[in-house]
Amino acid sequence: MHTETCHVAMAMRAPAQTREFLQAVDRADALILAFPLYVDSLPYLATLALERIAAHRQSQTEPRPGSFLAIANCGFPEVAHNATAIAICKQFSEEAGYAWAGGLALGMGGAIAGRALSEVGGMAHNVIAALDLAAEAIAAGNPVPEDAITLMAKPFIPITGYMLMGDIGWLAEARRNHVLTRLGARPFRQGP
Amino acid sequence: MNATILNGALAGDGFVDAVAAALQDALQAQGWTVRPWQLADEKLAFCLGCFECWTKTPGLCRIDDAGRDVAETLIRSDLAIFVTPITFGGYSSALKKAVDRVIPLISPFFQRIDGEVHHHARYARYPALFGLGVLPKSHPIQAEIFDTLISRNAINLHAPAHGSRVIARDQDPITVAGELTQILSREALA
Repeated sequence: MHTETCHVAMAMRAPAQTREFLQAVDRADALILAFPLYVDSLPYLATLALERIAAHRQSQTEPRPGSFLAIANCGFPEVAHNATAIAICKQFSEEAGYAWAGGLALGMGGAIAGRALSEVGGMAHNVIAALDLAAEAIAAGNPVPEDAITLMAKPFIPITGYMLMGDIGWLAEARRNHVLTRLGARPFRQGP
Repeated sequence: MNATILNGALAGDGFVDAVAAALQDALQAQGWTVRPWQLADEKLAFCLGCFECWTKTPGLCRIDDAGRDVAETLIRSDLAIFVTPITFGGYSSALKKAVDRVIPLISPFFQRIDGEVHHHARYARYPALFGLGVLPKSHPIQAEIFDTLISRNAINLHAPAHGSRVIARDQDPITVAGELTQILSREALA
């Protein structure tokens, strides 16, 4: 299966780039959106992209049939935080005329921290296996199997350990930036 | 009492604008001081996800634009109202851009709330949160997603109380605003 990767931040930058992006969407038999969770739902750029894709496809008399898969990743340890965003993606799928292929939700995203999965080591084993299963299903025109969703949802480490590592990470970053003693700053004054 | 209205109407959406304006009028008539934000008209950058507001300039976004002002207005309010056309069950892109910019108001550190991990509060007080979503017509699934999203935001933004209402575009904005003002006066800040 031929694949094409579009970066939403680039695609939403200017009308010409959005047009190219929508042309890529029109060429696709399967659309896969991978995004980080921002404040309980999709980030602004992904929200805007979905609005534009839906409007574009709704303006077509016969939009190309295809499937839509959502992959959400959050910094909280529990995958359940992604549920609302996945539900939003499912509604988009229906409104844009796609067959819903499912939603893969990942927690503890901070442990991956933007690295390629191949560089993460054994911790990413389940994630890679889940993505392989999902890719196989999408290529065959099927929805993502439950096994893939379950594998993706498996925590890397115990929750308490993740919380501790996360907090240590913030402290270390603040120390590097010389703001360790100001981490709890309240720059906006509140009334009595 | 201070209220902030984040109006997430997309360009040319007169109905959502009318609802937000009617809500503002009704609240002011009851003695509220209201700061409305017409988000689609604001110079507002999107969140870069850099987390510098947590680890470099704690509590303050690195981008010096209306996003900072929205966050400041919210944290100084008793009540935050999100008004938005519902898109796929969630917020409009205009509202989402502003909501993404409020994370400087919370702390990076983790805590458990009702057994689930969230971020600590940064401030002593947070506004109550009310969501008003507009759908073209009744859609129970999208309405449920919207209500859930408001509830989830209320946890993560440490709102002491929250509520939501979904309306259809064939309803009268002034009647809706009048009803909501009664609800907000009685319950939102209880």
